[in-house]
Amino acid sequence: MSTVKTCPACGSELPAEFMFCGKCGTRVDGGVQPVASGTSARTLFFGANAQPPTRAKLIVIKGEGVDGVTYQLAGTDHLAGRSEGVILFPDDPLMSPRHANFIYRDSRLFLQDEDSVNGVFTRIKAPVAVPSGGMFLVGEQLLQAEPSPPDLGPQPDADGTYFYASPKRPSKMKLVQRLRGGEIGMVYRARGETISIGREGNDVNFLDDPFISGRHAQVSVSADGQITLTDLGSKNGTFVRVTGETQLVHGDYVFIGQQLLRVELS
Amino acid sequence: MITCSRCGKENQDHYKFCLGCGNEIRSGASKGAGAGAGAAAPTAAASSSVAQAARDGVASDNHHQQPHPSPAAEPARSKGAAVGDPERTAVGVGSDPNAPTPPPAASVARPRSGIPWNDSPQLGPSAPTPTPLLTGAGLGGVARAGSAAAAAAGALHPGRVNASGAGGLAGESASSDLLHSPPASPPGAGGAAAEGTVCASCGRMVSPGFAFCGSCGARVSVSGAGAPGVPLTTGARAGHSAAAPAKVIVPRGRLILIRPDGSEGGAHPLHDGENLVGRGQGILFDGDLYLSPRHAEFILGPEGLMVRDVRSLNGVFVRIGEEEALESGDIIRIGQELLRFEVISAPVPLEDGTEVAGTPNPGFWGRLSVIVGRDVDGSAFPLFGDSVVMGRERGDILFPEDGYVSGTHARISLRDGRVFINDVGSSNGTFLRVRGERKVPSGTFVLMGQQLFRLEYK
Repeated sequence: MSTVKTCPACGSELPAEFMFCGKCGTRVDGGVQPVASGTSARTLFFGANAQPPTRAKLIVIKGEGVDGVTYQLAGTDHLAGRSEGVILFPDDPLMSPRHANFIYRDSRLFLQDEDSVNGVFTRIKAPVAVPSGGMFLVGEQLLQAEPSPPDLGPQPDADGTYFYASPKRPSKMKLVQRLRGGEIGMVYRARGETISIGREGNDVNFLDDPFISGRHAQVSVSADGQITLTDLGSKNGTFVRVTGETQLVHGDYVFIGQQLLRVELS
Repeated sequence: MITCSRCGKENQDHYKFCLGCGNEIRSGASKGAGAGAGAAAPTAAASSSVAQAARDGVASDNHHQQPHPSPAAEPARSKGAAVGDPERTAVGVGSDPNAPTPPPAASVARPRSGIPWNDSPQLGPSAPTPTPLLTGAGLGGVARAGSAAAAAAGALHPGRVNASGAGGLAGESASSDLLHSPPASPPGAGGAAAEGTVCASCGRMVSPGFAFCGSCGARVSVSGAGAPGVPLTTGARAGHSAAAPAKVIVPRGRLILIRPDGSEGGAHPLHDGENLVGRGQGILFDGDLYLSPRHAEFILGPEGLMVRDVRSLNGVFVRIGEEEALESGDIIRIGQELLRFEVISAPVPLEDGTEVAGTPNPGFWGRLSVIVGRDVDGSAFPLFGDSVVMGRERGDILFPEDGYVSGTHARISLRDGRVFINDVGSSNGTFLRVRGERKVPSGTFVLMGQQLFRLEYK
């Protein structure tokens, strides 16, 4: 007795009890085909067996908040990358071949950077501490904040010559803009202890970046050189680069390569 | 930085008059009126700890010989300054207030005519014994030219001179009478300070053979009258003429020191062939701690003069004339700002095909970084469009706190895929660091360490 049937739309083989084709989503039990939400909304199932929707989902956000593909995370490890893994973005040159791993463990979801070149970013919900040189995304701007090293005063070299340099205006921190390709674009030195970033009216303004809000984010440096990144209520959020393993909760946003993903956990 | 009490504008520590309103910032800083005497600054003594205090900006008087920018200044102090500059650009090279501040060799008196100036004998163990009062390269330098003469003639003895001058000098010895006070004096510099006479008006040592005091400009009594115990008379003259250097070659070229107020200081001769200049190679260079011992070579040949960089720490800078091509990595200097130009090239993917993420390039073709330390950059300005203008008040890249930068100073432009820099009429000039070798015409200004020179040759 066969427990396999064939999808009328794409011809793939399905277990008999399936109501929808796992490959193309067509209803196969004779009922009403549900209307797809969004132009290309498809649900892809991962995991050993076709269970109903699982505990964790990654939804790819494309454009103006429109949900794109949804990835159901049913297993334990779900590698994402340009060429390796189960979540593939083959056309994204900013993704490393192996980029990040979504790990589902003890009813919790973790994100692990797989030594990718460009890193993984999460949207900050509260002010976070950033290491020196830590990267963050404001709109399309990739920025780094670095506290100034302590001023040792002029030090002569081996033959007693002093190095001539521009007059130093004391500054506690600098903001570095990284261009695509890795070069430094602009470096801005803080006048006080904070640098505000946005489209206009801030210390640093990016007028031509459409993804930046008027007042978007701020970095501040403490007396001991610790840098804090704060989002000032921007529309698109401020994303900080995370290394190693980070826990993700429901509603979190993840940015890898050029893909913005939203996390849904039940 | 100092905030002006009248207008609130921030000024660099060594400014005496506010860049915004001309109000005097410091009071009581009246040691030495005028550019010439100002060279005898009460810089730190030979001990490095005192020098450190000076570097920390505590002794802000170190730079008072820099002419202030305000036209409303007291006339006495503005002697020689570019008072009429409507943009109030400070004339001169300027110095880093955070560094030890040896004044330029402007303290050296002008020679009388006929004296072969500064043939720079190399100092060695045969230099006369140093005196306790006169340590420091500057005075050693001043006296060195005459020391050969005096030593030969034996007319002046260290002991005798010091005894007579002790009264006047003792009080200032530790702190103020040292024109150049690097913690590490060039070898032998301290040793040659013994000969010379004492100026009646300011008490400093004056080399034999000089009629005027190099520090205060007072006439040193040649006949001996009025100068307390100064045996400058026939001894000095006889000693000098008797020991006149054997060679009377007039050098074909000269490096003329330009003082911060624009007047000319001493000159270093340039002979045919290679001339190595640096700290220890001549009186004019000894006090400048920003010069390496081997700083630059000037090669005088039949077709002209070439300057060659010999990998000194701070490099040799040449004032650009009309337009210069810029290469990625070139270092330029405007006012007190040291800037590096770099090209921003198109991104290249990595081996595995991944591209490095970042802000989409909005059209930047270059970047100008401000060098604030040996391997430390401060701000960086991206270059885009056809050209970028730098200046103190008007332009795309502004340096509002640097009084030595003109209102509009220089322009960097992109043309046919190449980058050029033009000086747009600045007061102090735009300087480009020499890479390798470069031909320099006579009359070119050369910046080495903290000193400006003008090259002349036939």
